[in-house]
Amino acid sequence: MSNLGQREKRLLISPTVILLLFFTLFPFVFTLALVFGKVSFIGGKIAIQFAGVSNWVRLLHDQRFWNAVLVTLKIVGIAITAEYCIGLVLALLLYKKPLGCGFFRVLYVVPMLLTPIAVGYTWRMIFDVGRGPITGILQRVGVKPIGWLVDPHISLYSIIITDIWQWTPFMFLLLYAGLEAIPKDYLEAADVDGATAWRKFVYVIMPLLAPPSIAALLLRSVECFKIVDIIYIMTGGGPGQATESLTLFGYNVGFRAFDLAYGATIAFSLFFMVLIATMFFTMLTKSLRAIRLE
Amino acid sequence: MKRVFSLAASYTVLIVWAFIVIAPLFWLITTSFKDKLDVYLGPKFIPWVDFIPTSRWWIRIFTVEKDSLLKPYANSLIIGLTSAFLSTFLGLMAAYALSRFRFRFGFMKNEDILFWIVSQRIMPPIIVVFAIFIMYQALGLLDTHVGLILIYTVFNLPLAVWILSNFLGQIPPSIEEAALVDGASPTTILFRIVIPMLLPSLTATFLLCFVFSWNEFLFALILTYSRTQTMPILIASQHFQRGPQWWDISALATLAVLPPVVITIVLQRYFIRGLIPVGK
Repeated sequence: MSNLGQREKRLLISPTVILLLFFTLFPFVFTLALVFGKVSFIGGKIAIQFAGVSNWVRLLHDQRFWNAVLVTLKIVGIAITAEYCIGLVLALLLYKKPLGCGFFRVLYVVPMLLTPIAVGYTWRMIFDVGRGPITGILQRVGVKPIGWLVDPHISLYSIIITDIWQWTPFMFLLLYAGLEAIPKDYLEAADVDGATAWRKFVYVIMPLLAPPSIAALLLRSVECFKIVDIIYIMTGGGPGQATESLTLFGYNVGFRAFDLAYGATIAFSLFFMVLIATMFFTMLTKSLRAIRLE
Repeated sequence: MKRVFSLAASYTVLIVWAFIVIAPLFWLITTSFKDKLDVYLGPKFIPWVDFIPTSRWWIRIFTVEKDSLLKPYANSLIIGLTSAFLSTFLGLMAAYALSRFRFRFGFMKNEDILFWIVSQRIMPPIIVVFAIFIMYQALGLLDTHVGLILIYTVFNLPLAVWILSNFLGQIPPSIEEAALVDGASPTTILFRIVIPMLLPSLTATFLLCFVFSWNEFLFALILTYSRTQTMPILIASQHFQRGPQWWDISALATLAVLPPVVITIVLQRYFIRGLIPVGK
Protein backbone atom coordinates (compact mmCIF):
# COMPACT_ATOMS: atom_id res chain seq x y z
CA MET A 1 0.00 0.00 0.00
CA SER A 2 3.00 2.19 -0.49
CA ASN A 3 1.78 4.04 -3.58
CA LEU A 4 -0.18 6.36 -1.31
CA GLY A 5 1.81 9.49 -0.65
CA GLN A 6 2.67 10.57 2.86
CA ARG A 7 0.25 13.46 2.46
CA GLU A 8 -2.71 11.20 1.61
CA LYS A 9 -1.92 9.00 4.57
CA ARG A 10 -1.91 11.97 6.88
CA LEU A 11 -5.11 13.23 5.31
CA LEU A 12 -6.87 10.08 6.53
CA ILE A 13 -5.90 10.56 10.13
CA SER A 14 -5.77 14.32 10.45
CA PRO A 15 -9.52 15.05 10.84
CA THR A 16 -9.63 12.85 13.93
CA VAL A 17 -6.46 14.28 15.39
CA ILE A 18 -7.47 17.89 14.71
CA LEU A 19 -10.98 17.45 16.12
CA LEU A 20 -9.66 15.78 19.25
CA LEU A 21 -7.00 18.44 19.75
CA PHE A 22 -9.54 21.19 19.26
CA PHE A 23 -12.21 19.74 21.52
CA THR A 24 -10.23 18.05 24.26
CA LEU A 25 -6.66 19.31 24.43
CA PHE A 26 -7.49 22.95 23.82
CA PRO A 27 -10.38 23.03 26.35
CA PHE A 28 -8.16 21.15 28.77
CA VAL A 29 -5.53 23.89 28.57
CA PHE A 30 -8.25 26.50 28.81
CA THR A 31 -9.62 24.85 31.94
CA LEU A 32 -6.12 24.89 33.33
CA ALA A 33 -6.15 28.67 32.87
CA LEU A 34 -9.53 28.92 34.58
CA VAL A 35 -8.28 26.90 37.51
CA PHE A 36 -5.61 29.48 38.30
CA GLY A 37 -7.74 32.45 37.37
CA LYS A 38 -10.68 34.63 38.17
CA VAL A 39 -13.40 35.15 35.60
CA SER A 40 -15.19 38.42 35.22
CA PHE A 41 -17.75 39.51 32.68
CA ILE A 42 -17.18 43.03 31.48
CA GLY A 43 -19.67 44.30 28.92
CA GLY A 44 -20.60 40.80 27.79
CA LYS A 45 -16.96 39.85 27.31
CA ILE A 46 -15.18 37.30 29.37
CA ALA A 47 -11.95 38.31 31.05
CA ILE A 48 -9.70 35.95 32.95
CA GLN A 49 -7.30 37.36 35.51
CA PHE A 50 -4.54 35.41 37.17
CA ALA A 51 -5.52 34.51 40.71
CA GLY A 52 -2.77 32.14 41.79
CA VAL A 53 -3.80 29.16 43.84
CA SER A 54 -6.76 30.90 45.48
CA ASN A 55 -9.28 28.51 43.87
CA TRP A 56 -7.35 25.55 45.22
CA VAL A 57 -7.13 26.98 48.72
CA ARG A 58 -10.85 27.56 48.65
CA LEU A 59 -11.41 24.01 47.37
CA LEU A 60 -9.37 22.37 50.10
CA HIS A 61 -11.28 24.27 52.78
CA ASP A 62 -14.67 23.56 51.23
CA GLN A 63 -16.76 21.13 53.26
CA ARG A 64 -19.07 20.66 50.30
CA PHE A 65 -16.14 19.59 48.11
CA TRP A 66 -15.00 16.88 50.51
CA ASN A 67 -18.59 15.72 50.78
CA ALA A 68 -18.79 15.41 46.98
CA VAL A 69 -15.49 13.50 46.94
CA LEU A 70 -16.82 11.08 49.52
CA VAL A 71 -20.15 10.67 47.72
CA THR A 72 -18.39 9.96 44.43
CA LEU A 73 -15.93 7.50 45.99
CA LYS A 74 -18.74 5.69 47.80
CA ILE A 75 -20.78 5.34 44.62
CA VAL A 76 -17.78 4.12 42.64
CA GLY A 77 -16.58 1.75 45.35
CA ILE A 78 -19.87 0.11 46.24
CA ALA A 79 -21.51 0.11 42.81
CA ILE A 80 -18.46 -1.25 40.97
CA THR A 81 -17.91 -4.04 43.51
CA ALA A 82 -21.55 -5.11 43.36
CA GLU A 83 -21.68 -4.85 39.56
CA TYR A 84 -18.55 -6.98 39.24
CA CYS A 85 -19.81 -9.70 41.60
CA ILE A 86 -23.29 -9.92 40.09
CA GLY A 87 -21.90 -9.72 36.56
CA LEU A 88 -19.45 -12.53 37.32
CA VAL A 89 -22.13 -14.80 38.78
CA LEU A 90 -24.43 -14.22 35.81
CA ALA A 91 -21.62 -14.76 33.32
CA LEU A 92 -20.55 -18.01 35.01
CA LEU A 93 -24.13 -19.30 35.06
CA LEU A 94 -24.71 -18.51 31.39
CA TYR A 95 -21.28 -19.79 30.40
CA LYS A 96 -22.56 -23.33 31.00
CA LYS A 97 -25.07 -22.64 28.21
CA PRO A 98 -28.26 -23.60 30.02
CA LEU A 99 -31.57 -23.75 28.19
CA GLY A 100 -32.73 -20.22 27.37
CA CYS A 101 -29.18 -18.86 27.47
CA GLY A 102 -29.72 -16.68 24.41
CA PHE A 103 -32.83 -15.07 25.87
CA PHE A 104 -31.17 -14.28 29.22
CA ARG A 105 -28.09 -12.92 27.49
CA VAL A 106 -30.03 -10.39 25.41
CA LEU A 107 -32.25 -9.43 28.33
CA TYR A 108 -29.32 -8.90 30.70
CA VAL A 109 -27.64 -6.48 28.30
CA VAL A 110 -30.70 -4.26 27.76
CA PRO A 111 -30.40 -1.83 30.75
CA MET A 112 -26.89 -0.78 29.71
CA LEU A 113 -27.95 1.12 26.62
CA LEU A 114 -31.11 2.75 28.01
CA THR A 115 -31.20 6.52 28.37
CA PRO A 116 -29.90 7.17 31.91
CA ILE A 117 -32.35 10.03 32.44
CA ALA A 118 -35.27 7.70 31.65
CA VAL A 119 -33.77 5.01 33.90
CA GLY A 120 -33.32 7.53 36.71
CA TYR A 121 -36.89 8.70 36.28
CA THR A 122 -38.20 5.12 36.42
CA TRP A 123 -36.31 4.41 39.64
CA ARG A 124 -37.47 7.70 41.07
CA MET A 125 -41.03 6.48 40.66
CA ILE A 126 -40.13 3.06 42.09
CA PHE A 127 -38.55 4.61 45.18
CA ASP A 128 -41.40 7.08 45.73
CA VAL A 129 -42.73 6.81 49.26
CA GLY A 130 -46.41 7.60 48.68
CA ARG A 131 -47.14 5.94 45.36
CA GLY A 132 -44.11 3.79 44.59
CA PRO A 133 -44.27 0.00 44.24
CA ILE A 134 -41.52 -0.84 46.76
CA THR A 135 -43.15 1.02 49.62
CA GLY A 136 -46.50 -0.43 48.58
CA ILE A 137 -45.24 -4.00 48.74
CA LEU A 138 -43.32 -3.44 51.97
CA GLN A 139 -46.38 -1.90 53.60
CA ARG A 140 -48.48 -4.93 52.71
CA VAL A 141 -46.06 -7.13 54.61
CA GLY A 142 -46.00 -4.64 57.47
CA VAL A 143 -42.66 -2.87 57.01
CA LYS A 144 -42.61 0.83 57.81
CA PRO A 145 -42.04 3.12 54.80
CA ILE A 146 -38.41 3.85 54.08
CA GLY A 147 -37.48 7.29 52.75
CA TRP A 148 -35.53 5.90 49.80
CA LEU A 149 -34.87 9.29 48.25
CA VAL A 150 -35.69 11.69 51.08
CA ASP A 151 -33.68 10.17 53.93
CA PRO A 152 -30.11 11.55 53.74
CA HIS A 153 -28.73 8.28 55.13
CA ILE A 154 -30.43 6.15 52.50
CA SER A 155 -30.71 8.25 49.33
CA LEU A 156 -27.12 7.53 48.30
CA TYR A 157 -27.81 3.79 48.36
CA SER A 158 -30.90 4.28 46.20
CA ILE A 159 -28.67 5.98 43.64
CA ILE A 160 -26.19 3.11 43.91
CA ILE A 161 -28.96 0.53 43.38
CA THR A 162 -30.01 2.35 40.22
CA ASP A 163 -26.42 2.44 38.98
CA ILE A 164 -26.06 -1.29 39.68
CA TRP A 165 -29.25 -2.00 37.76
CA GLN A 166 -28.08 -0.06 34.75
CA TRP A 167 -24.40 -1.06 34.63
CA THR A 168 -24.17 -4.68 35.82
CA PRO A 169 -24.83 -5.57 32.14
CA PHE A 170 -21.51 -4.00 31.18
CA MET A 171 -19.56 -6.17 33.62
CA PHE A 172 -21.60 -9.20 32.60
CA LEU A 173 -20.87 -8.60 28.93
CA LEU A 174 -17.12 -8.20 29.34
CA LEU A 175 -16.78 -11.12 31.73
CA TYR A 176 -18.94 -13.35 29.53
CA ALA A 177 -16.78 -12.50 26.53
CA GLY A 178 -13.71 -13.20 28.69
CA LEU A 179 -15.08 -16.61 29.65
CA GLU A 180 -15.85 -17.43 26.03
CA ALA A 181 -12.22 -16.68 25.18
CA ILE A 182 -10.90 -19.34 27.62
CA PRO A 183 -9.69 -22.35 25.60
CA LYS A 184 -12.01 -25.29 26.25
CA ASP A 185 -9.16 -27.80 26.60
CA TYR A 186 -7.90 -26.04 29.76
CA LEU A 187 -11.16 -26.88 31.48
CA GLU A 188 -11.27 -30.36 29.99
CA ALA A 189 -7.76 -31.00 31.27
CA ALA A 190 -8.89 -29.92 34.73
CA ASP A 191 -11.86 -32.29 34.44
CA VAL A 192 -9.57 -35.17 33.51
CA ASP A 193 -7.48 -34.41 36.59
CA GLY A 194 -10.67 -34.66 38.65
CA ALA A 195 -10.82 -31.03 39.74
CA THR A 196 -13.93 -29.92 41.63
CA ALA A 197 -15.99 -27.04 40.27
CA TRP A 198 -14.62 -24.75 42.99
CA ARG A 199 -10.98 -25.63 42.27
CA LYS A 200 -11.57 -25.18 38.55
CA PHE A 201 -12.98 -21.74 39.30
CA VAL A 202 -10.09 -20.67 41.55
CA TYR A 203 -7.15 -22.18 39.67
CA VAL A 204 -8.24 -22.17 36.03
CA ILE A 205 -11.03 -19.67 35.39
CA MET A 206 -10.10 -16.78 37.69
CA PRO A 207 -6.45 -16.43 36.62
CA LEU A 208 -7.51 -16.42 32.97
CA LEU A 209 -10.31 -14.01 33.73
CA ALA A 210 -8.04 -11.53 35.50
CA PRO A 211 -7.06 -9.41 32.47
CA PRO A 212 -10.64 -8.90 31.21
CA SER A 213 -11.71 -8.29 34.81
CA ILE A 214 -9.22 -5.47 35.22
CA ALA A 215 -10.22 -4.01 31.85
CA ALA A 216 -13.89 -4.12 32.86
CA LEU A 217 -13.20 -2.58 36.26
CA LEU A 218 -11.09 0.18 34.73
CA LEU A 219 -13.58 1.12 32.02
CA ARG A 220 -16.52 0.99 34.40
CA SER A 221 -14.92 2.98 37.21
CA VAL A 222 -13.72 5.68 34.81
CA GLU A 223 -17.33 6.04 33.64
CA CYS A 224 -18.73 5.83 37.15
CA PHE A 225 -16.56 8.71 38.40
CA LYS A 226 -18.46 10.93 35.96
CA ILE A 227 -21.88 9.99 37.34
CA VAL A 228 -24.38 12.83 37.10
CA ASP A 229 -27.56 12.13 35.09
CA ILE A 230 -29.34 9.64 37.34
CA ILE A 231 -28.50 11.76 40.39
CA TYR A 232 -29.72 14.90 38.65
CA ILE A 233 -33.16 13.42 38.02
CA MET A 234 -33.54 11.21 41.11
CA THR A 235 -32.48 13.52 43.93
CA GLY A 236 -30.90 16.59 42.37
CA GLY A 237 -28.00 15.94 44.73
CA GLY A 238 -30.19 16.04 47.82
CA PRO A 239 -31.52 15.81 50.39
CA GLY A 240 -29.12 18.59 51.31
CA GLN A 241 -25.93 17.50 49.59
CA ALA A 242 -26.26 13.83 50.50
CA THR A 243 -25.98 12.61 46.91
CA GLU A 244 -24.05 15.42 45.24
CA SER A 245 -21.33 13.86 43.08
CA LEU A 246 -18.29 15.82 41.88
CA THR A 247 -19.68 16.35 38.40
CA LEU A 248 -22.99 17.59 39.79
CA PHE A 249 -21.16 19.86 42.27
CA GLY A 250 -19.03 21.24 39.43
CA TYR A 251 -22.15 21.83 37.36
CA ASN A 252 -24.02 23.52 40.21
CA VAL A 253 -21.12 25.84 40.98
CA GLY A 254 -20.15 26.53 37.38
CA PHE A 255 -23.50 26.87 35.68
CA ARG A 256 -26.01 27.57 38.44
CA ALA A 257 -23.95 29.92 40.62
CA PHE A 258 -22.02 30.79 37.44
CA ASP A 259 -18.64 30.67 39.15
CA LEU A 260 -16.77 29.25 36.17
CA ALA A 261 -13.31 29.34 37.70
CA TYR A 262 -14.27 27.48 40.85
CA GLY A 263 -16.42 25.03 38.88
CA ALA A 264 -13.42 24.28 36.68
CA THR A 265 -11.29 23.70 39.77
CA ILE A 266 -13.79 21.13 41.02
CA ALA A 267 -13.81 19.47 37.60
CA PHE A 268 -10.04 19.35 37.63
CA SER A 269 -9.97 17.53 40.93
CA LEU A 270 -12.21 14.90 39.31
CA PHE A 271 -9.64 14.59 36.53
CA PHE A 272 -6.97 13.76 39.11
CA MET A 273 -9.15 11.08 40.64
CA VAL A 274 -9.84 9.48 37.26
CA LEU A 275 -6.13 9.67 36.46
CA ILE A 276 -5.19 7.92 39.71
CA ALA A 277 -7.78 5.19 39.11
CA THR A 278 -6.50 4.67 35.57
CA MET A 279 -2.88 4.47 36.73
CA PHE A 280 -3.84 2.02 39.46
CA PHE A 281 -5.52 -0.39 37.06
CA THR A 282 -2.77 0.00 34.46
CA MET A 283 -0.17 -0.88 37.08
CA LEU A 284 -2.28 -3.84 38.14
CA THR A 285 -2.29 -5.12 34.56
CA LYS A 286 1.48 -4.67 34.30
CA SER A 287 2.23 -6.48 37.54
CA LEU A 288 -0.13 -9.24 36.47
CA ARG A 289 1.82 -9.64 33.26
CA ALA A 290 5.06 -9.71 35.22
CA ILE A 291 3.72 -12.56 37.37
CA ARG A 292 2.69 -14.44 34.24
CA LEU A 293 6.13 -14.14 32.69
CA GLU A 294 7.95 -15.53 35.69
CA MET B 1 -29.55 -35.26 42.91
CA LYS B 2 -26.76 -32.77 43.39
CA ARG B 3 -26.94 -31.90 39.69
CA VAL B 4 -30.65 -31.24 39.89
CA PHE B 5 -30.13 -29.04 42.91
CA SER B 6 -27.40 -26.95 41.29
CA LEU B 7 -29.46 -26.60 38.13
CA ALA B 8 -32.44 -25.39 40.16
CA ALA B 9 -30.22 -22.96 42.04
CA SER B 10 -28.74 -21.48 38.89
CA TYR B 11 -32.14 -21.08 37.26
CA THR B 12 -33.43 -19.37 40.39
CA VAL B 13 -30.62 -16.82 40.18
CA LEU B 14 -31.09 -16.31 36.44
CA ILE B 15 -34.83 -15.83 36.78
CA VAL B 16 -34.52 -13.51 39.78
CA TRP B 17 -32.12 -11.26 37.86
CA ALA B 18 -34.37 -11.41 34.80
CA PHE B 19 -37.20 -10.23 37.03
CA ILE B 20 -35.04 -7.41 38.41
CA VAL B 21 -34.24 -6.29 34.86
CA ILE B 22 -37.83 -6.45 33.65
CA ALA B 23 -39.71 -5.05 36.69
CA PRO B 24 -38.64 -1.36 36.37
CA LEU B 25 -39.35 -1.41 32.63
CA PHE B 26 -42.73 -3.00 33.31
CA TRP B 27 -43.45 -0.26 35.83
CA LEU B 28 -42.40 2.47 33.40
CA ILE B 29 -44.54 1.18 30.55
CA THR B 30 -47.62 0.39 32.64
CA THR B 31 -47.47 3.78 34.35
CA SER B 32 -47.81 5.47 30.97
CA PHE B 33 -51.17 3.66 30.62
CA LYS B 34 -52.50 4.54 34.08
CA ASP B 35 -55.20 7.06 34.84
CA LYS B 36 -54.47 9.87 37.29
CA LEU B 37 -56.21 8.17 40.20
CA ASP B 38 -54.38 4.90 39.61
CA VAL B 39 -51.15 6.79 40.07
CA TYR B 40 -52.25 8.93 43.01
CA LEU B 41 -53.94 6.18 45.04
CA GLY B 42 -50.85 4.16 45.73
CA PRO B 43 -49.12 1.55 43.65
CA LYS B 44 -51.16 -0.41 41.11
CA PHE B 45 -49.39 -3.28 39.45
CA ILE B 46 -51.27 -5.57 37.11
CA PRO B 47 -53.20 -4.14 34.17
CA TRP B 48 -56.90 -5.12 33.98
CA VAL B 49 -56.66 -6.49 37.54
CA ASP B 50 -55.38 -3.58 39.62
CA PHE B 51 -56.27 -0.86 37.15
CA ILE B 52 -57.90 -0.37 33.75
CA PRO B 53 -55.28 0.78 31.22
CA THR B 54 -55.97 3.93 29.28
CA SER B 55 -54.22 5.13 26.16
CA ARG B 56 -55.36 8.68 26.84
CA TRP B 57 -51.89 10.06 27.59
CA TRP B 58 -50.37 8.43 24.56
CA ILE B 59 -53.02 9.95 22.35
CA ARG B 60 -52.49 13.30 24.02
CA ILE B 61 -48.74 13.46 23.50
CA PHE B 62 -49.22 12.67 19.83
CA THR B 63 -51.98 15.25 19.36
CA VAL B 64 -52.31 18.17 21.78
CA GLU B 65 -48.72 18.11 22.97
CA LYS B 66 -47.31 17.10 19.62
CA ASP B 67 -45.14 20.17 19.17
CA SER B 68 -43.40 20.03 22.50
CA LEU B 69 -42.56 16.34 22.00
CA LEU B 70 -41.80 16.06 18.32
CA LYS B 71 -39.17 18.76 18.23
CA PRO B 72 -36.89 17.20 20.88
CA TYR B 73 -37.43 13.78 19.33
CA ALA B 74 -36.45 15.14 15.92
CA ASN B 75 -33.50 16.98 17.46
CA SER B 76 -32.26 13.81 19.14
CA LEU B 77 -32.62 11.88 15.90
CA ILE B 78 -30.90 14.50 13.71
CA ILE B 79 -28.06 15.06 16.15
CA GLY B 80 -27.63 11.37 16.94
CA LEU B 81 -27.68 10.14 13.34
CA THR B 82 -25.43 12.88 11.98
CA SER B 83 -22.82 12.62 14.71
CA ALA B 84 -22.88 8.79 14.60
CA PHE B 85 -22.28 8.93 10.85
CA LEU B 86 -19.42 11.41 11.25
CA SER B 87 -17.80 9.45 14.08
CA THR B 88 -18.00 6.21 12.14
CA PHE B 89 -16.71 7.78 8.93
CA LEU B 90 -13.83 9.69 10.51
CA GLY B 91 -13.14 6.77 12.81
CA LEU B 92 -12.87 4.43 9.84
CA MET B 93 -10.42 6.77 8.10
CA ALA B 94 -8.22 7.04 11.17
CA ALA B 95 -8.43 3.36 12.10
CA TYR B 96 -7.64 2.32 8.53
CA ALA B 97 -4.66 4.64 8.32
CA LEU B 98 -3.34 3.47 11.69
CA SER B 99 -3.67 -0.22 10.89
CA ARG B 100 -2.20 -0.08 7.37
CA PHE B 101 0.43 2.67 7.32
CA ARG B 102 3.32 3.69 9.52
CA PHE B 103 3.16 7.10 11.15
CA ARG B 104 5.56 9.15 13.18
CA PHE B 105 4.51 12.37 14.89
CA GLY B 106 7.56 13.36 16.87
CA PHE B 107 8.15 10.55 19.34
CA MET B 108 4.68 9.06 18.73
CA LYS B 109 4.36 5.93 16.65
CA ASN B 110 1.16 4.16 15.56
CA GLU B 111 0.40 2.49 18.89
CA ASP B 112 1.03 5.74 20.76
CA ILE B 113 -1.30 7.65 18.45
CA LEU B 114 -3.99 5.00 18.85
CA PHE B 115 -3.56 5.04 22.61
CA TRP B 116 -3.76 8.83 22.67
CA ILE B 117 -6.97 8.83 20.61
CA VAL B 118 -8.62 6.12 22.71
CA SER B 119 -7.53 7.65 26.01
CA GLN B 120 -9.51 10.82 25.19
CA ARG B 121 -12.59 8.82 26.14
CA ILE B 122 -11.39 8.79 29.74
CA MET B 123 -11.64 12.58 30.09
CA PRO B 124 -14.68 13.50 32.19
CA PRO B 125 -16.94 15.81 30.15
CA ILE B 126 -17.29 18.27 33.04
CA ILE B 127 -13.63 19.25 32.63
CA VAL B 128 -13.90 20.36 29.03
CA VAL B 129 -17.45 21.67 29.18
CA PHE B 130 -16.48 25.00 30.80
CA ALA B 131 -14.11 25.83 27.98
CA ILE B 132 -16.48 24.52 25.33
CA PHE B 133 -19.30 26.63 26.76
CA ILE B 134 -17.20 29.80 26.49
CA MET B 135 -15.90 28.78 23.07
CA TYR B 136 -19.42 28.08 21.77
CA GLN B 137 -20.66 31.36 23.15
CA ALA B 138 -17.95 33.19 21.23
CA LEU B 139 -18.63 31.21 18.04
CA GLY B 140 -22.43 31.42 18.32
CA LEU B 141 -22.73 27.64 18.55
CA LEU B 142 -24.76 27.51 21.77
CA ASP B 143 -28.20 25.97 21.26
CA THR B 144 -27.45 24.88 17.68
CA HIS B 145 -27.54 21.46 16.05
CA VAL B 146 -24.03 21.93 14.71
CA GLY B 147 -22.69 22.55 18.19
CA LEU B 148 -24.07 19.34 19.65
CA ILE B 149 -23.24 17.29 16.56
CA LEU B 150 -19.62 18.43 16.78
CA ILE B 151 -19.21 17.65 20.45
CA TYR B 152 -20.91 14.23 20.18
CA THR B 153 -18.84 13.34 17.13
CA VAL B 154 -15.67 14.15 19.01
CA PHE B 155 -16.68 12.24 22.13
CA ASN B 156 -17.63 9.12 20.15
CA LEU B 157 -14.57 9.21 17.90
CA PRO B 158 -12.24 7.39 20.34
CA LEU B 159 -14.78 4.59 20.66
CA ALA B 160 -15.23 4.34 16.88
CA VAL B 161 -11.47 4.29 16.26
CA TRP B 162 -10.98 1.65 18.93
CA ILE B 163 -13.69 -0.74 17.73
CA LEU B 164 -12.85 -0.34 14.05
CA SER B 165 -9.11 -0.73 14.46
CA ASN B 166 -9.71 -3.94 16.40
CA PHE B 167 -11.78 -5.28 13.52
CA LEU B 168 -9.33 -4.04 10.91
CA GLY B 169 -6.60 -5.86 12.78
CA GLN B 170 -8.45 -9.11 12.15
CA ILE B 171 -8.55 -8.59 8.38
CA PRO B 172 -5.27 -9.63 6.76
CA PRO B 173 -3.78 -6.84 4.63
CA SER B 174 -2.83 -9.47 2.03
CA ILE B 175 -6.28 -9.22 0.41
CA GLU B 176 -5.79 -5.52 -0.18
CA GLU B 177 -2.23 -6.06 -1.37
CA ALA B 178 -3.46 -8.60 -3.89
CA ALA B 179 -5.98 -6.08 -5.22
CA LEU B 180 -3.22 -3.51 -5.43
CA VAL B 181 -1.10 -5.87 -7.51
CA ASP B 182 -4.09 -6.33 -9.81
CA GLY B 183 -4.03 -2.59 -10.37
CA ALA B 184 -6.90 -1.41 -8.13
CA SER B 185 -6.68 2.18 -6.93
CA PRO B 186 -6.66 2.95 -3.19
CA THR B 187 -10.18 4.37 -3.49
CA THR B 188 -11.40 1.20 -5.15
CA ILE B 189 -9.77 -0.88 -2.47
CA LEU B 190 -11.43 1.14 0.26
CA PHE B 191 -14.93 1.10 -1.22
CA ARG B 192 -14.93 -2.30 -2.94
CA ILE B 193 -12.94 -4.38 -0.46
CA VAL B 194 -12.46 -2.83 2.97
CA ILE B 195 -15.89 -1.29 3.54
CA PRO B 196 -17.87 -4.37 2.42
CA MET B 197 -15.78 -6.59 4.68
CA LEU B 198 -16.21 -4.19 7.58
CA LEU B 199 -19.91 -3.55 7.02
CA PRO B 200 -21.17 -5.46 10.09
CA SER B 201 -18.68 -3.72 12.40
CA LEU B 202 -19.37 -0.36 10.79
CA THR B 203 -23.07 -0.88 11.48
CA ALA B 204 -22.34 -1.85 15.06
CA THR B 205 -20.10 1.19 15.55
CA PHE B 206 -22.69 3.48 14.03
CA LEU B 207 -25.49 2.16 16.23
CA LEU B 208 -23.39 2.35 19.37
CA CYS B 209 -22.33 5.94 18.64
CA PHE B 210 -25.97 6.77 17.95
CA VAL B 211 -27.09 5.36 21.30
CA PHE B 212 -24.41 7.28 23.18
CA SER B 213 -25.44 10.55 21.50
CA TRP B 214 -29.10 9.76 22.05
CA ASN B 215 -28.52 9.17 25.77
CA GLU B 216 -26.08 12.00 26.47
CA PHE B 217 -27.16 14.44 29.14
CA LEU B 218 -24.52 16.81 30.51
CA PHE B 219 -23.42 18.48 27.26
CA ALA B 220 -27.02 18.82 26.12
CA LEU B 221 -27.96 20.34 29.47
CA ILE B 222 -25.26 22.99 29.30
CA LEU B 223 -24.99 23.68 25.58
CA THR B 224 -28.68 23.86 24.63
CA TYR B 225 -31.60 26.00 25.75
CA SER B 226 -34.88 25.45 23.96
CA ARG B 227 -34.35 25.24 20.21
CA THR B 228 -32.15 22.15 20.19
CA GLN B 229 -33.43 20.50 23.34
CA THR B 230 -32.91 16.72 23.18
CA MET B 231 -35.03 13.93 24.65
CA PRO B 232 -33.14 13.52 27.95
CA ILE B 233 -33.41 17.26 28.56
CA LEU B 234 -37.11 17.21 27.71
CA ILE B 235 -37.72 14.44 30.26
CA ALA B 236 -35.73 16.23 32.95
CA SER B 237 -37.43 19.58 32.39
CA GLN B 238 -40.92 18.04 32.21
CA HIS B 239 -40.18 16.22 35.43
CA PHE B 240 -39.25 19.41 37.23
CA GLN B 241 -42.20 21.33 35.76
CA ARG B 242 -44.94 18.77 36.26
CA GLY B 243 -43.80 17.01 39.41
CA PRO B 244 -46.05 14.05 40.13
CA GLN B 245 -47.69 13.74 36.70
CA TRP B 246 -46.09 10.35 36.21
CA TRP B 247 -48.24 9.21 33.28
CA ASP B 248 -47.04 11.83 30.79
CA ILE B 249 -43.38 11.56 31.65
CA SER B 250 -43.55 7.78 31.66
CA ALA B 251 -44.83 7.90 28.10
CA LEU B 252 -41.98 10.25 27.15
CA ALA B 253 -39.43 8.05 28.88
CA THR B 254 -40.81 4.97 27.13
CA LEU B 255 -40.40 6.73 23.81
CA ALA B 256 -36.88 7.71 24.79
CA VAL B 257 -35.76 4.17 25.64
CA LEU B 258 -37.41 2.64 22.57
CA PRO B 259 -34.54 3.18 20.07
CA PRO B 260 -31.85 1.87 22.48
CA VAL B 261 -33.90 -1.26 23.22
CA VAL B 262 -34.36 -2.02 19.54
CA ILE B 263 -30.68 -1.35 18.88
CA THR B 264 -29.57 -3.59 21.76
CA ILE B 265 -31.53 -6.47 20.28
CA VAL B 266 -30.02 -5.78 16.86
CA LEU B 267 -26.52 -5.42 18.27
CA GLN B 268 -26.48 -8.38 20.65
CA ARG B 269 -24.94 -10.63 17.98
CA TYR B 270 -21.91 -8.37 17.83
CA PHE B 271 -21.56 -7.82 21.54
CA ILE B 272 -19.99 -11.15 22.33
CA ARG B 273 -18.16 -11.57 19.09
CA GLY B 274 -15.62 -8.83 19.32
CA LEU B 275 -17.47 -5.56 19.65
CA ILE B 276 -15.79 -5.25 22.99
CA PRO B 277 -12.41 -6.91 22.60
CA VAL B 278 -11.28 -8.34 25.87
CA GLY B 279 -7.88 -9.02 27.29
CA LYS B 280 -5.91 -6.70 25.11
